[in-house]
Amino acid sequence: MGTTASQLAKDSLSEYQELTFLTKQEILLAHRRFTELLDRDERNHPNPRVPMEVILTLPELKSNPFKTRICQVFSTSEDKDGSLTFEDFLDLLSAFSDSATLEIKSHYAFRIFDFDDDGTLDCGDLEKLVNCLTGETEDTRLSSEEMRQLINNILDESDIDKDGTVNLSEFQHVISRSPDFVSSFKIVL
Amino acid sequence: FSKGSETNQIRTLAQDTERDKRFFSNSSFGTYNALLPTGLAQKIHRLTEEQILIKELVALSTTEQIRKIRALPVSFEEKKHVRTQAMAFKSSGQSHHFSSLRDFSQNMSLLIRRFGYSIKSVSQSLQLWRGIMKEIGGKFGSSVLNYFVLLKWLLLFNIFSFLVNFGFITIPLLVSDLSPNVSPNVSFRGLELLTGAGYFNYTVMYYGSYSNETFRGLVDYDMQLAYFFTISVYMVLCGLVLIFSMASSFKKNYALADSASNSAWQLLCSWDFSITNEKAVNQRKNNLRIQLKESLSEKAHRERQTTSEQLKQYGIYFGSWLLSTGLAVGCGASIFYLCQYENEVRKTINYPKFRQEAETLLVPFVVSLMNMVIPLFFSLFNKFEQYSSQRKQIYALLFRNVLLRISILGVLCYYWMNTVPQKFTCWEPVVGQALYRLVIVDFIFLMLGSLFGEFLSNVIGTKIQPRLGVPEFDVARNVLEIIYAQTLAWIGIYFSPLLPVIQILKFFILFYLKKVSLTHNCQPPRRSGRAAQMKTIFIFLLFIPFFVGALSIVAYTAWSLTPSEHCGPFRGLNNTFSVTGEWIDDVNKLSSTQWVVWIYQNVIKSEIFYFLITLIILVLIYIFWQLIQGRKELIVLLRKQIVNEGNDKSFLLEKLQNLQKS
Repeated sequence: MGTTASQLAKDSLSEYQELTFLTKQEILLAHRRFTELLDRDERNHPNPRVPMEVILTLPELKSNPFKTRICQVFSTSEDKDGSLTFEDFLDLLSAFSDSATLEIKSHYAFRIFDFDDDGTLDCGDLEKLVNCLTGETEDTRLSSEEMRQLINNILDESDIDKDGTVNLSEFQHVISRSPDFVSSFKIVL
Repeated sequence: FSKGSETNQIRTLAQDTERDKRFFSNSSFGTYNALLPTGLAQKIHRLTEEQILIKELVALSTTEQIRKIRALPVSFEEKKHVRTQAMAFKSSGQSHHFSSLRDFSQNMSLLIRRFGYSIKSVSQSLQLWRGIMKEIGGKFGSSVLNYFVLLKWLLLFNIFSFLVNFGFITIPLLVSDLSPNVSPNVSFRGLELLTGAGYFNYTVMYYGSYSNETFRGLVDYDMQLAYFFTISVYMVLCGLVLIFSMASSFKKNYALADSASNSAWQLLCSWDFSITNEKAVNQRKNNLRIQLKESLSEKAHRERQTTSEQLKQYGIYFGSWLLSTGLAVGCGASIFYLCQYENEVRKTINYPKFRQEAETLLVPFVVSLMNMVIPLFFSLFNKFEQYSSQRKQIYALLFRNVLLRISILGVLCYYWMNTVPQKFTCWEPVVGQALYRLVIVDFIFLMLGSLFGEFLSNVIGTKIQPRLGVPEFDVARNVLEIIYAQTLAWIGIYFSPLLPVIQILKFFILFYLKKVSLTHNCQPPRRSGRAAQMKTIFIFLLFIPFFVGALSIVAYTAWSLTPSEHCGPFRGLNNTFSVTGEWIDDVNKLSSTQWVVWIYQNVIKSEIFYFLITLIILVLIYIFWQLIQGRKELIVLLRKQIVNEGNDKSFLLEKLQNLQKS
């Protein structure tokens, strides 16, 4: 299962190596950074769970516009509060690593962009996505007219079955035509 | 090729909507989620999907199994669960007979896998400059990172060239103690570092110091063959590596990419997750907003130009292209006349030797000055023209710069190939020295250019004229500079086998210099995206025209020019290529290696072979082209099918809702 004290057991390490896309160095580094986030009494816990606010203090995630969505997507807690165990953290790094496949990356990108978790990207999701990437304050938002036009353009281009939403397959189809995606969907510790 | 994968995807899309439709019309569930077709996370399909997956996994070998499980988009716990189930299934379903053998083979495969992982992590930690590149990528994005990646790649080329040349050509010469003797009244002065002549002329730096003998020792080592084959094998290997990387990059970034590449969706999906700097993120957001707004207004404004405006636009294009081509050709011509003038001055006027040597630096100085100043004019022209897309603007600028450099290099090579062999008895070292001077002066100008281009612009932009702002790192210009530098090295390898040493030092210092200049003086680029396509263009530029040009110069030298009579490994021969003829004659004498002779005479020397190969390749190209046309039609048909299926889906959804209401 999880980690005991501050050392990774050897067979857990090899299990992590087999089931994620990370190398041994990356796993050890991730373990070190994760234990730094815990306070002393949590470190002896067999499977510590770090709340989202603490995870978001990591410099790699701090300025990311999607930081809360990333934590929520990779979290396996029952109350969906975005807290991560070490294995969730490894899942996160594995999906964002260099060697992850395009399918994995596009799958997780879809889930991150799906703000209401209903399995499709509808107009509300797309609007939230655009706002996330262009700015939240009043003077930096796009006007509602521009937003509508933008969403129409997006749906024109990616909604192949014309049902008004973008589902996973359509999203993956668009992503496969975007060669910059693989190199930009990356977080390295 | 690539159309195949797109048709497969569209086919999957069509099948998914088909399957959804069938599922939906057969079941009586109220909710309908158009979700992941193979997802374990879908509540309704969960158990049966998992069983199907485990059945699939059991049939695979362990390594394949692990690879497939790793690629599942589910959480770690579920992956472990699937894995334990698959292993339990596998072991329970097998007989107990060969259990020890099976255990042994499983342990072996586990060991091999672990060994593979450790090799992978070791090779990753040994990568040069990994920390610096990650830092640059995090702050400036992947388009600036492309420059540094290309620089590192070219450095590796040079390191390989140095090892090969030093190992196969220089070391045998030094070991056999046939090192060239230095004439007694020549000593090392500081000027040699710049001009490459003088003391260096007598060292192993240049072609002239290599002997043409065969060393008898443990093995017979023929210096002629060694020199020829080392250089040619290195060039061929370089060419192959470039072709493969260009083809794979092209396939990934161009063939699969859409022509509507400025679209909003592409911009949104390419958000760079690796940027960690808060200021950089905010800047990116600003730039993205501006780009989105531009793309929206572009679509609106596209048809609004009147005829007179269009005519004026074309007039401006024509004028600036004429001017740029004129400038490039003019530079080439002036370099040619400068070389001739320098030659005549050297013959007629008797200056002291020091001054004569210093004057040889004039041509490289003028060349580098032109390479630095003329592109500024090109950027000025670019500001006046208005291209319809930013990509075309960059391509036009790149093309003009390439034209300038190619014309200057072409003129210099013409001069070296035609006039130098007649005027000097030992002409190859002279060309080698000229190239050495070009490389060194180019390096000095690169450093100066970094100073002026980035440091001064930063000072001007922040303190003196704040309106200009902090400069951006001009990726295209810098990449072209290192490609040009590498071309000089490639041309020079034949004439000066140890030129890669200088190149290695140059690139090494340049890396750190550019990194410092970047972090202190520049801001992240304003327009995001297009990094992958620019990378393809750069590799393409590296190969054609620069590498092909260098290769053809070396090939022309080896094929047609007479090597000098009194120095170098090929003295006394009619042309360099005849060493292979002599070697084949030697090989012919031994009966065990007759097949080599047969290959040489019937494959390499015969014209029919090349004719047949060309014919076959043309036929294959035609067949593949027709295949692509067929696939394009198939894609159109499949898209229509998807739209129809979508319509059916919404129709059935409506019908169900009506049924539920009643």
